Amino acid sequence: MSVESHHQEEIFGKAYDLKLIKRLWRFILPYKRLFWFSMLLLPLQQLFGLAQPYIMKEAIDDYIAGGDLWGLQGMALLFLVALIGEVIAFYFHYYMTMLVAQGCLADLRVAIFSHVQKLPTSYFDRNPVGRLVTRMTTDVDVLQEMFAAGVMTLISDFFMLASIVVIMFYLHVALALVSLALIPFMLLAINFFRIKARQTYRLIRERIARINAYLGEAIMGMAVIQLFVREQKSYREFDQLNSAHRDALQLSNIYEAALYSMVEAAGSVSVGLLLWYGGGEVLHGVIGIGTLVAFKEYIHRFFVPLRDFSQKYAVMQSAMSSAERIFHLLDTPVTIASPAKPVIPRPFRGEIAFEGVWFSYKEGEPVLKGVSLRVEPGEKVAVVGATGSGKTTTIKLLSRFYDIQRGSVKVSGVDVRDWDLQALRRHIGVVLQDVFLFSGNIRANLCLGDETVPQERIERAARYANAAGFIGHLPDTFNAQVRERGSNFSAGQRQLLALARVLVFQPEILVLDEATSSVDTETELLIQDALEKIMRGRTCLVIAHRLSTIRNADRIIVLHRGEVREVGSHAQLLQRRGIYYRLYQLQYAQEELRVLG
Amino acid sequence: MGGIGRLNGYLWRYWRRYLLGALCLLGTATLVMWIPWWIREAVRIIEHGGRVEDVTFYAGIIVVAAVAQGVIRTYSRALIFNAGRDIEYDLRNDLFAHLERLPVSYYQAQRTGDLMSRVINDISAVRVLLGPGILNLVNAPLYYLYALILMISMDLRMTLAALLPYPLLMWAIRYFRGRILKSSLQVQQQMSELSSHVQENLSGMHVVKAYTREENQERRFADLNDEYQARSLELAKLRGMIGPFMQGISGLTVMIVIWYGGIRVMRGDLLIADIVAFIAYLNILAWPTAAFGWMLSLVERGRAAMERLEEIFKIEPTIASPPAPVPLRGAEHRIEFRDVWFAYEPKANGQPILREINFTLPRGQTLAIVGRTGAGKTTLAQLLPRLYDVTAGEIRIGGADIRRLSLSELRGMLGYVPQDPFLFSASLRRNLAFGLAEVTEEKIQRVVRLARLDRDLEIFPQGLDTIVGERGVTLSGGQRQRATLARALLLDPPILVLDDCLSSVDAQTEDEILKGLRSILKEKTCLIISHRLSAIKDADQILVVDEGRIAERGNHQELLLNDGIYAELFRQQQLTEELEQI
Repeated sequence: MSVESHHQEEIFGKAYDLKLIKRLWRFILPYKRLFWFSMLLLPLQQLFGLAQPYIMKEAIDDYIAGGDLWGLQGMALLFLVALIGEVIAFYFHYYMTMLVAQGCLADLRVAIFSHVQKLPTSYFDRNPVGRLVTRMTTDVDVLQEMFAAGVMTLISDFFMLASIVVIMFYLHVALALVSLALIPFMLLAINFFRIKARQTYRLIRERIARINAYLGEAIMGMAVIQLFVREQKSYREFDQLNSAHRDALQLSNIYEAALYSMVEAAGSVSVGLLLWYGGGEVLHGVIGIGTLVAFKEYIHRFFVPLRDFSQKYAVMQSAMSSAERIFHLLDTPVTIASPAKPVIPRPFRGEIAFEGVWFSYKEGEPVLKGVSLRVEPGEKVAVVGATGSGKTTTIKLLSRFYDIQRGSVKVSGVDVRDWDLQALRRHIGVVLQDVFLFSGNIRANLCLGDETVPQERIERAARYANAAGFIGHLPDTFNAQVRERGSNFSAGQRQLLALARVLVFQPEILVLDEATSSVDTETELLIQDALEKIMRGRTCLVIAHRLSTIRNADRIIVLHRGEVREVGSHAQLLQRRGIYYRLYQLQYAQEELRVLG
Repeated sequence: MGGIGRLNGYLWRYWRRYLLGALCLLGTATLVMWIPWWIREAVRIIEHGGRVEDVTFYAGIIVVAAVAQGVIRTYSRALIFNAGRDIEYDLRNDLFAHLERLPVSYYQAQRTGDLMSRVINDISAVRVLLGPGILNLVNAPLYYLYALILMISMDLRMTLAALLPYPLLMWAIRYFRGRILKSSLQVQQQMSELSSHVQENLSGMHVVKAYTREENQERRFADLNDEYQARSLELAKLRGMIGPFMQGISGLTVMIVIWYGGIRVMRGDLLIADIVAFIAYLNILAWPTAAFGWMLSLVERGRAAMERLEEIFKIEPTIASPPAPVPLRGAEHRIEFRDVWFAYEPKANGQPILREINFTLPRGQTLAIVGRTGAGKTTLAQLLPRLYDVTAGEIRIGGADIRRLSLSELRGMLGYVPQDPFLFSASLRRNLAFGLAEVTEEKIQRVVRLARLDRDLEIFPQGLDTIVGERGVTLSGGQRQRATLARALLLDPPILVLDDCLSSVDAQTEDEILKGLRSILKEKTCLIISHRLSAIKDADQILVVDEGRIAERGNHQELLLNDGIYAELFRQQQLTEELEQI
């Protein structure tokens, strides 16, 4: 996880936020029948549960006291039925709630994932991968926790408390008043602790976030700490953060301990009060002992949810802040999308035209300054330039990974902003310097998971791109395992696979950023040969690092500090003794010497 | 010493509080357990039609006991939970101190996120073991024992009858624990599949977009997501059974008491008061019973976390001061490399990065190291402050092997400016004074001028008190580099090591900085690595490193005449400079 973002990431939420709950509700809607059904089971569960003390009362007062054995056995059986009913309703309520939760959270995950797919490349430049993964995994799981232990049980607790009050008053008004005498004080106390708890939870989260940030930084900068013999000072700083965190936690422990103990104690005090008043009532013959027993049971059931309230509150609080982060991501605007009515150029000719293109990643720091260039259908154009000249940016603009600020980029005569995004990209095959392979097998990497591509076409592409040779030597050939990022293949092999991938998709335009990393001579020859074949008959825009590529190019465009400075063939440009001449000596002459030598 | 052994050491440190906490638990349990007994007494009086005052007497005792129980319980929980928090704090501090002693090589093999998760999450898991874990571990047996004794002393047959469903409970705990463990492992596994897919999709986003594979990726995600959902449901099915099951069992015991107890009351050998007391005891036992499985999982999780922490604790810091360091002799700072070899993984027969490096750098002189990317220049510089130790040969300062010097003394006399400018998220002032306890404003202003940060400071809203953001993100690369240079200069060390530390600074500013530094460099022993040859032309000695060996050595003029690698680098340099000027 990225440490950098930890501070700004932390949102300190409330335990309930109507807006967020409304948005979550939209995800529950498809499961609303199941949801309501599970909600209906709640009163049923409570009916069965709360019937039990009543049955006890009847059993004691009417049958045990009256010596009716069969009646007692009937009551025992009734108790068993109520128990089984309660247990079954309890289980199915939970299970259905989880069905709803799993369903709507799975939908939520898909919604996040597909939204992220649409976000522009610039978003990924700013946001570390780890953070986005957390949104789809940890944050959604926190919401699941909310379903399991938070909101649903809060609702059911509320129902239960209300029902107990009703039953108690039905049984005996004065006894009910005595038994519940402590409740107003309890509610005040719980509210007091709720406020305190909210403050301390917030403090705890702030402080753990600080420990996180400090720790992450210390780990990344450990060499600097050691070089400057700063170990003790850093330790003291860490100790300060750590002890502040501990203090906040210990404070919250004391609150929680006091609340928990208070509720438990209040339960017992209420039983004492019940005996004091109720005992007299029994002795005066107003009620039976059974009623007393039932009241004791109801008090017991009344105090359990009060005791667990603070935990549920904490669950709700973290769920709301997760929901807020998730919706924040879902609200990120999709700035690069297909227009409502895309223009489809017919026929597709495949020429590329940049006209007066201005572009900057950061405002005020233009990377391209009025670049104009043209590549005719079937033409091979090489782009050269020093580091930072804007070469890579140029090819990223072609596939509309970024939107330009001024000018236009046209493919086949249509501005890329008027194209259907997917259609545009399907016409362009991109091979970047750092070839990205997915974990899986070779076949999946060549067809990029499109199972409809026939094996025959994949094999033909691999043969044509000179990749079939080494694939054939792998134990499982096309089904050979590719590890994460293709780490079990050499740089040269990865490049051959990337070229084969282009051939599987047969785009009319090829955009290539040649790798600078050196590969062994044999593979290099294979790559050069494959490149030559692939470029044949395609419109090609290549950032050239190979001597052979610039030699074979129809035209060379020299970019320098974001501007097109020279255009021409290799020989013409060399003669001019300008930028190209120097670049050539810096980047390619070495290779020439090696080739000649 | 295993992880649990280490943990015992911490527990021992707080034994008084744990003992006191345990005594409070005993007190709480005693009061909790006597309350049903007094209820029984009260009901007995009611049953026999006794006096209201007698009932009131017991009711009063119960109220007093309840209040006392509340107070003692608060203490027991606060004592034990807070002792757990204290150990958590100690453990985290000790781990941090240990991490500070581990060599740089350790951090290269570790992922930051992984380490952080151990310091944060694993320690939290250990804390849960030490707080709620220990509390329940003490409480559960106490409650069972107390309840059993009191119930048996009321009526043995009734006790046996009430506990009849308990064997079923034992079986259920074992049954569910195994299944849940297995099922939650599967859920975790599927979750990690899901997150690796997301991770990979995001890392390869440019390929996904370029080949318009979004839909395909979404389908694959949906599949994995469905599988995750299915497995989570499996787990939920199992988990959902525990609550109702436990409730069922405890309800069953109550039913037995009413039924069997009722029959006995009718027969006249038991009182309704006994039934009431039995039900009360069974209610008290319901919670520790339900929490039993949960408690076991806490203990297991805590132990596993502690073992993972122990993996870090048991790594010996390989680079440390010797037990009896030799004192540095006065102002003699001659640096010698004697037949130095270095490989990152010498045991695994790793490729040597440096071979047969020999040179002497007399005090007050400047030695420059040049070479292509990957030649081993930075590694060579990192050997001096012992970020790594040599594989063979030795490095001496003032005639003493640096491994025999005190580590802090060695590093204290080096001003090292690394290639990658790392700043901390604090004010610029605190970053500059990083290695110092206190520093005068005058000295700070001097290094600010030397590193040409003065002009930048004028633009910063808060000058030297500007916060530089995590890792210094709010500064440009060049500003960061100049800040790290100023940080080293502020130490005023006798030896300076500059590892290509001005690569992001434009040529003109670099020239200005070097001119300003000239008089200072003269007083110091300097090791400079630079890819800009103009920066090192005036060095007393220049070493050209190529593929880990010293390929050429001499001064600028000699090396140019030699027409080797240095001359080639120099020509390329000139071309680059020409390009920069176009």
